[in-house]
Parts: sequence; structure tokens; C-alpha cells
Amino acid sequence: MLVANENRMKLRTDFTDRAELIAYLRETFPASAALSPDVSAMRGGRNAAEAMLQRINPERYAATRNHLNGAVTMLSAYLRHGVLTLAEVRRTALQRAGAKAEKLVQELAWRDYWQRVYARIGDGVWKDRESYKTGWRPVDYQSELPADIADGATGLNCMDQFATELQQTGYLHNHARMWLAAYVIHFRRVQWQVGAAWFLEHLLDGDPASNNLSWQWVGSTFAVKPYYFNRDNLEQFTDGKYCRDCQHYRQGCPFEATYDELQSRLFPREN
Amino acid sequence: MMNDEQSVLIWVHEDCLHPNSPALQAHSQAPRVFVFDEFSRVSLKRIVFQYECLLEIPNIEIRRGEVVAQLVAAARDHDCQRIVTMASVTPSFAKITSVLQREYLLSLTLLASEPFLELVAGEADGLDLKRFSRFWQAIKGRALSLNQSFDW
Ligand SMILES: Cc1cc2nc3c(=O)[nH]c(=O)nc-3n(C[C@H](O)[C@H](O)[C@H](O)COP(=O)(O)OP(=O)(O)OC[C@H]3O[C@@H](n4cnc5c(N)ncnc54)[C@H](O)[C@@H]3O)c2cc1C
Repeated sequence: MLVANENRMKLRTDFTDRAELIAYLRETFPASAALSPDVSAMRGGRNAAEAMLQRINPERYAATRNHLNGAVTMLSAYLRHGVLTLAEVRRTALQRAGAKAEKLVQELAWRDYWQRVYARIGDGVWKDRESYKTGWRPVDYQSELPADIADGATGLNCMDQFATELQQTGYLHNHARMWLAAYVIHFRRVQWQVGAAWFLEHLLDGDPASNNLSWQWVGSTFAVKPYYFNRDNLEQFTDGKYCRDCQHYRQGCPFEATYDELQSRLFPREN
Repeated sequence: MMNDEQSVLIWVHEDCLHPNSPALQAHSQAPRVFVFDEFSRVSLKRIVFQYECLLEIPNIEIRRGEVVAQLVAAARDHDCQRIVTMASVTPSFAKITSVLQREYLLSLTLLASEPFLELVAGEADGLDLKRFSRFWQAIKGRALSLNQSFDW
């Protein structure tokens, strides 16, 4: 009985192709498949990682990284799983672009920084590092993720597509993560922990340090002020691709405002 | 050293799925095992990604269950008394390694990957981590220079 049970705990490693692997894992991890049935096009493994590393362009990265179509590296899942080291990406970037690699090296340093904070505070990444600077108390934030957000059914084209992309591909551009997190925390007033847990279920690079501490940075519990954005900002870095056919473009877009207006709408007690 | 090789089990975990990690390099013939934690709550695509990384590690044994119990069972199966693994800052990692040592009397060796930056001894503990900007100011010069090397 015990032996049989233990054998069941050993998983297969002989697959003829990706489809067979996926079918096996779908069957073996039904709870994970229930969270979301999708599989990413991004392949795991050192071979794939090396091919991606060859393609980095530090100079273009510096000029375009904030744009959704920018020359970001998409190396995060490999870095998070130690398939690539920050050191070798840093070295490759500097060899390729010298001083012009500064921006990329600085972003790599963010990961190193969060890991160092993690080493010091451990599970403390789940607790508010500081108090909110939004005028709201922790209890003012909802403790569950509203279903329309997870379902991609808010009616806001941008947020719905970000939520769908997150769940289908396990990857979101940094700017999309910031916008979605700001929407969840500030526009829907949901606890950052709830959004962070949701991201961790889906991100291929999901990492309690980078993820939770970034959520805290957006929320303001690990920053001097909250991060929020308006429609001009989102339109600019997406070429308006979400806004163009959004039903709320002319009416009901919560992001269509100046920063001052948003400040008093979102954080009225601060004023 | 040669005899020692017989008794080593390499624990491969999700913080280092490199097929040529220092642990795998140091003990190229040793059995190596990865455990999917039965309590972890991640979606299928993450498991597929990790699995594809694992399949590039020759002779990897992949298990699923409670991590400590599976590691202990693997050590017993392969008659290993020593576990070699890659260091990690994940809090559960420290808990697991301490149980393996204290309750199951396995000896443990932690190896490290090449660090992002070589800091001078004792420097890491004193780094100001209150804000990224302070950290960056402290390391920027070194981060942007190429003359650090590591024998991977
Ligand atoms: C709400 C939120 C949640 C996030 N969750 C995670 C997470 O779980 N795991 C994760 O690795 N990153 C996370 N990030 C950071 C960042 O968004 C991703 O690392 C980045 O978008 C990954 O894409 P890329 O590899 O193309 O990045 P690039 O811009 O090409 O950057 C290169 C590498 O530098 C590192 N890096 C870049 N920016 C950051 C950053 N701000 N913080 C930490 N590391 C960075 C990553 O390892 C990345 O692969 C999060 C950011 C936000 C705002």
C-alpha cells in the first residue's frame, strides 16, 4: 500500500512531444488546471533561455521599455527559476552595449534588491511594510478579488485584456502589471495582498519578493506615495490600442481625468 | 571525496532549475530529485514551464507530495545521507532544510550561483534597503563595470 502510494508520487519524464507532456500534466495536476486550463507558448528550459538571451537589445530597451511594444527581454521566468542568472544577463548586456546598458542593468538590480529584502523579512513580504499613504486604513480595502476583474468582465477593455493575458499566458509587461495593480488597489479599493495572490497563481515568473513588494510599491505600503495613472498615460504607452474600441471611451472611463482630479477622487481623505 | 559521491542526493528546487547548476556540476553522477509541493497553488502553465526546465536535467527524478517526506523517501531509496542543494532565500526553504537536518539527521550542503554582484565581506548585512534608490546608489558603479568574473 505504502509502496504503491509512493510510486504514484514519482512522475513521468518520458514524453515524445509537448502535447503529450501537457496532457499528462493536465491529468496529474487537476487543481492547477482548474485555476486556468491554459498553457503558455513560452517554453521552459535553458535552451530556450539562451536563445532569448541572444536576442536582448539593451540600447533599444532603454529607449522603449515603458511601451507595451518596447524591446523588453521577457527573461523574467528564466531568471526567477535560476535557469539564467542575473550575473550572466548583466554581463551580456554590458558586453553588448557598454554604458548604454545602464537602464537594463538597473532593472536587473531591482530583482536583486527585492531578493535582498526577502532574505531579511521572509514571510513579512505578505505584511504591510509601512502604512498606506492613501488616506485609507487597511480595513477599508476589500479582502476578495471582485469576480468581474478575474473574469475579464469589467467592461474596461484595457483591464479585461490584461486580466485575460495574465491568465492565458502567465506574462504581462511591467507597465500592464502596474496599471492592473493600481486599478485593483486604488480604483476598486482591494487589499494589495489579494491582487498579489492572484498574480502569483498565474505569472510564470511569479515570485513572492518581486511580486508582493511591487504590489506594495503600487499600494504605497513600500513607497512614499501611491502609484496611479490616467488614460493619457495608458493611451500613450499602448498606442491607444485598448481605448480605440472600448465601450467606455466616450463615457464612463474611470481613468479619463487629470492627475489632480484622480488624486481627489481616489484619495479624498488625503486632501 | 570519491566515496562521498555515493551518498549525495541533489535536491533541485524551483529557485534553481539550471541544468548545469553548481550542485549538479559538483556531483555529476549523484541522483537528483525535484518535488512538486502538493500544497502549492499555481496554475497549470507554471507547472508546464517548470517541467520543461526539469526535463533538460539528465536523469532527474520528479516527485510530488509533501516536500520533506518526498526528500526523505528519495534519500532512503538512493541510500544517501547527504543532501546538496542550491541556497535560496525562500522562507519555506529554511524550514525544510532545518527539518531535514534536525529530525532526519541528513547532512546538508548549500551551494550558491554566481551573485549579481560580488560584495565585500559583511557588506550585504549593512546595505541600506529602505528604498531601491539608496541601494542603487551604493552598487551602481560596480553594477556597470564588467571586470567581475565567476567560474560557472
Ligand atoms: C504588480 C507587479 C507585480 C510583479 N510581479 C513580478 C513577479 O512576480 N516576478 C518578477 O520577476 N517580476 C515581477 N514584477 C516586475 C516586472 O514587472 C517583471 O520582472 C517584468 O515585467 C518581467 O518582464 P521582462 O523579463 O520582459 O522584463 P525586463 O524589463 O526585460 O527586465 C529584465 C529583468 O529584470 C528584472 N526586472 C525588471 N523590472 C523589474 C522590477 N520592477 N522588479 C523586479 N525585477 C525586475 C526581471 O527579472 C526581468 O526579467 C512585477 C511588477 C509589478 C508592477
